[in-house]
Amino acid sequence: MTAAVAVTDLTKTYRALFGGAHEALSGLTLSIPRGAAFGLIGPNGAGKTTFIKVLLGVVQATSGEVTVLGGAPGDVPVRARIGYLPERMHLPAALSARQFLRSVATLKGLAPSDGELSRALERVGLANDGQRIGSFSKGMRQRLGLAAAMLGAPELLILDEPTDGIDPVGRVEVRQLLLEERARGVTLLLNSHLLSETERVCDRVGVLQRGQLRLEGTLDEVRRGATAFRARFEAGADEGALRAAGFVDGVFSGDVAALNEALDRARATGARLVALSPVERDLEQVLSEAMKEAS
Amino acid sequence: MRQLLRVALDLLLEATRRRWVLGLFGSITLVLTALGLSLELDVVDGALAGSKLFGVLLSDDVVSAHRALSGVSQAVAYLAFYGGAVFLVVACSDFAPELLSPGRIEHLLSLPVARWQLLFGTYLGVLGLVSAGILYGAVGLTALLGVKTGVWSPGLLLGSTVGLLGFAALYAVMLCSAFFVRSASVSGGAGAAMLGLGVVASYRESLTGLLEPGLVRTLVSWALVPVPRLGGLATMSARIAAEQAIDGAVASRLAAGCGLFSVAALALAAWRFERMDF
Repeated sequence: MTAAVAVTDLTKTYRALFGGAHEALSGLTLSIPRGAAFGLIGPNGAGKTTFIKVLLGVVQATSGEVTVLGGAPGDVPVRARIGYLPERMHLPAALSARQFLRSVATLKGLAPSDGELSRALERVGLANDGQRIGSFSKGMRQRLGLAAAMLGAPELLILDEPTDGIDPVGRVEVRQLLLEERARGVTLLLNSHLLSETERVCDRVGVLQRGQLRLEGTLDEVRRGATAFRARFEAGADEGALRAAGFVDGVFSGDVAALNEALDRARATGARLVALSPVERDLEQVLSEAMKEAS
Repeated sequence: MRQLLRVALDLLLEATRRRWVLGLFGSITLVLTALGLSLELDVVDGALAGSKLFGVLLSDDVVSAHRALSGVSQAVAYLAFYGGAVFLVVACSDFAPELLSPGRIEHLLSLPVARWQLLFGTYLGVLGLVSAGILYGAVGLTALLGVKTGVWSPGLLLGSTVGLLGFAALYAVMLCSAFFVRSASVSGGAGAAMLGLGVVASYRESLTGLLEPGLVRTLVSWALVPVPRLGGLATMSARIAAEQAIDGAVASRLAAGCGLFSVAALALAAWRFERMDF
């Protein structure tokens, strides 16, 4: 099966009118399998939004190869299979939610019935659809944007900060929606500053910094980290000897071969291993460590 | 083609809920209603014996109703051409900048719509909107004068199509400017400047004749060559409205110049749009 998103050596350089250039993406290579929920994390200015825009053809790549749902980004038939929620969605203030959804549906080549539009609005918690968008709160706009993105059951959902401005209860509802979409088999690309949200929704994560992919893998792989293990020894083991063997406060940093050597050294001092597990970090730690390594 | 029309219809849908557009149609309705209620035309056997507006006697000379109507249509056509152009330049100045606003253009470009369809759909939508306004005003006035005088002339309707041609050139420039500077003021300014230049270009020969022969005169003369002759179009519109004869060759040149200019401005906008990152 082909990947939903396949990117090879992608570079995007923004050039200023009078000289000067800024490389937003630098040799990015990434593959997102179909059906995966991929969380893109990274600090501000890492290139996350640029990456998303390249996938949609909104921003044109300077070099590299990009394939989205088997086609080129920006191809009209490909875009018909994508749902997108921009980071700051600008909605026409004069329209009602229903009118806006109908307008998006028309441009997507869909002809939803009134009932289908009502259901789409109810799904995101917008019951009073006669109200003009101009009077909507930020959260309501975000919900409407989400409803528009999900119209027509797209194969790939690209969401840039989907819960921005939504209250905590609303976030739970949005998360539930995203999980429902996942269950439907949609491929999800989520860019969110709320790392806990990414952890709860996504099964794969990529850490982007200064336009480069620093780390990528399944959530478990990324959280586990390849190089840290927590060991518990039988009571009475010599703390000093364990530290000398490489176990600082019970944590060993190194690869599997080094771990086994360290365990041999610890056993040689009479310590007996009771439990061993890889150290799991949360995404906040993953991000902060990746940034430290990069700098 | 279907997507292009969808974009145009989408713009029309949104426009019908805008204050400016509602104001345009409201103003036309108000003018027609006020004229309908206050204009008294005393027509006897095809001759206009007297006319009153708001009870004030305008004229009690006896003239042929057809001739009187011709003068009124000519004046209305001039007024509608220039007044309408200024109003529409202001009213339509934010359509393209709004389309390109951050958060909206990304969303539109993520939909299965090609960039050229967005561009030409917007252009068509605005022209559709303006056509509806012009048609409403022209049909309304034609009907009003027809009922009051018994003379039914298609002049105003035909003349108004020339007005639309002029606005098509203005809006092509406005749309194009938005792809270089996303600002309603710049877009409106470009339209207003083009209207002014279009009038100047209509009198190119006489105006450049006022300059001393030399480089400046040649430059000004050449610079005005591609500018559509909007002043000439206004005159043509007024003559058609008044059912006066027009020179076919001149009319074709004016219309072709305007059309070519619009196509060139739109091609430049499309070229720019295709290369833009958002």
